[in-house]
Amino acid sequence: MFDFFRTTSVKRRITQLLSLAFLGEWSFYGIFRCPFAVPYIGCAQCPVIQCPGRSLWMWSWIIIGASALVFGRAFCGWVCPGGIVAEMLTMVTKARMNVRGIAAKVAASGKYIMLALSLYYFFVLNNPRWAVPIRTGEFFNSVWLTFEHANLLWLYKTIGILVIFFIGGSIIPRVWCRFLCPTGGLLDILNKVAFVKVTADESCTNCDSCRKTCSMDTRPAETNCINCGSCLSACPVEAVHYSKLPRKTEIASELRN
Amino acid sequence: MSSNTSRRTFLKSAGVAISASLATALPVASSAKENANSLQVWSCGGLAEAMMPANSKFSAKNGSHIAYTGAFAGALGKSLLSGGAQTEVFAPRVLELAQKLKAQGKMLHYEPLCYTRYVLITPKGNPAGIESIADLKRDDVKPVLIPDASPPGGKASMIILKKAGVEETAVKNAVTQGDCVQTSVPDIVNGKGDVAVVEYRLTQLPKFKDKVDVIDIPEKYYPPAPVPFTIGLMKWAKDKDFAEEYIRFILSEEGQAFFTAAGFIAARSEQGERLTLKYGVNDV
Repeated sequence: MFDFFRTTSVKRRITQLLSLAFLGEWSFYGIFRCPFAVPYIGCAQCPVIQCPGRSLWMWSWIIIGASALVFGRAFCGWVCPGGIVAEMLTMVTKARMNVRGIAAKVAASGKYIMLALSLYYFFVLNNPRWAVPIRTGEFFNSVWLTFEHANLLWLYKTIGILVIFFIGGSIIPRVWCRFLCPTGGLLDILNKVAFVKVTADESCTNCDSCRKTCSMDTRPAETNCINCGSCLSACPVEAVHYSKLPRKTEIASELRN
Repeated sequence: MSSNTSRRTFLKSAGVAISASLATALPVASSAKENANSLQVWSCGGLAEAMMPANSKFSAKNGSHIAYTGAFAGALGKSLLSGGAQTEVFAPRVLELAQKLKAQGKMLHYEPLCYTRYVLITPKGNPAGIESIADLKRDDVKPVLIPDASPPGGKASMIILKKAGVEETAVKNAVTQGDCVQTSVPDIVNGKGDVAVVEYRLTQLPKFKDKVDVIDIPEKYYPPAPVPFTIGLMKWAKDKDFAEEYIRFILSEEGQAFFTAAGFIAARSEQGERLTLKYGVNDV
């Protein structure tokens, strides 16, 4: 069954490109034209008529949730349009700055804080509107108008995310995905109990070859592992592979970590 | 990157995919500039459901392209009044905005386009047995209020409650107080609240159509400002004859039918002509 993943790279790239073509437009809308505090969710009632999220959001989240239970955080490595842009950015800028040890652990908690904030704004504050919705219009014109009439919170949020994503991502690889993405935080939690994920077996020599090839600067099944499979071919002792449902003891151990 | 595909191939392919995504997001931006038979039209966002099919019909007749933007008229108006924004035809809500643009010489002339009206909506079957706005004085009625919605939704509905003498009780008994009309109407659809004041046009949106019961509110309770919509020719129109042709189509029987279907009172109707006189929507 898992032979499929032996040639992950080509399949992953094709999947990423397809998802970019399919979900890319919604991604743009979420960043540049969504008037709400938390984008990409609860889109059915959004006044922005043109946004494809109005028809995509519910099924997308159902599929992401179901896929997370089976494949953990694979969405980030195989589907997320932001993920592919972040990977491209790393390749183009050759971002290499390492964040390791305690700094990495503290920074990684950022995505859980962002997740908590997003849930708070969505469920407790009823996802307030921070910008004037441009219901319909040509894209760049509408983006301009959105920026022109947004309140300060929207501007801080949007500009902050763009600066962190692009400028931060040019220095620290995938800084948004690893340390701040709330969806990543949610999927990271589910990754611990997923049926299928990348793991290293007992023959692992801790040589760190997997980390060196990982765009998320992590190791199999550790925090920020997105089950992309890039490390499968990097392991000199072939200790890394996709594994099925972990045993109960493994789950307990994961949760403790 | 440990990959069977080269880094260069991946970057090229992803670049193409991103471009494809952008292309779907802005399908007509470039063609609009190249097409001499094109027109930039802005309107209040509330008119979008009428303007979009009307624009399509107009385009189908003469092969033109209408680059249409529909958004909160106050914001668009601000951009036109004090910002660097330009458009060729503008259909704002609030008569004052058209008058200000004309006073600045940015709008050459305007005409009445349509009128909105306000109604009470209840869940299907009207479980609270509401007969008129006076019933909002009842303590067993749970209103859904939207005081913080962008104009006119929030402020206008609160003025109506105040003029009807039920504001205090409605605020006291409100089950929700939202900041967006479109996200608050579901509270009526699903029965969380018994009644809300909204524009009739909202009940004609596909997502709410036939999902609520509608009760008229007497016109005497309406606030004056957000009721009339106008359409005007802007000084930036490149081909003024073509822009006039577009405005004539929108005000024709065929064009006005889209506004009636979207829940407005067409200006070129018996009711509309009465309101034109009442609100003084004449460009003099």
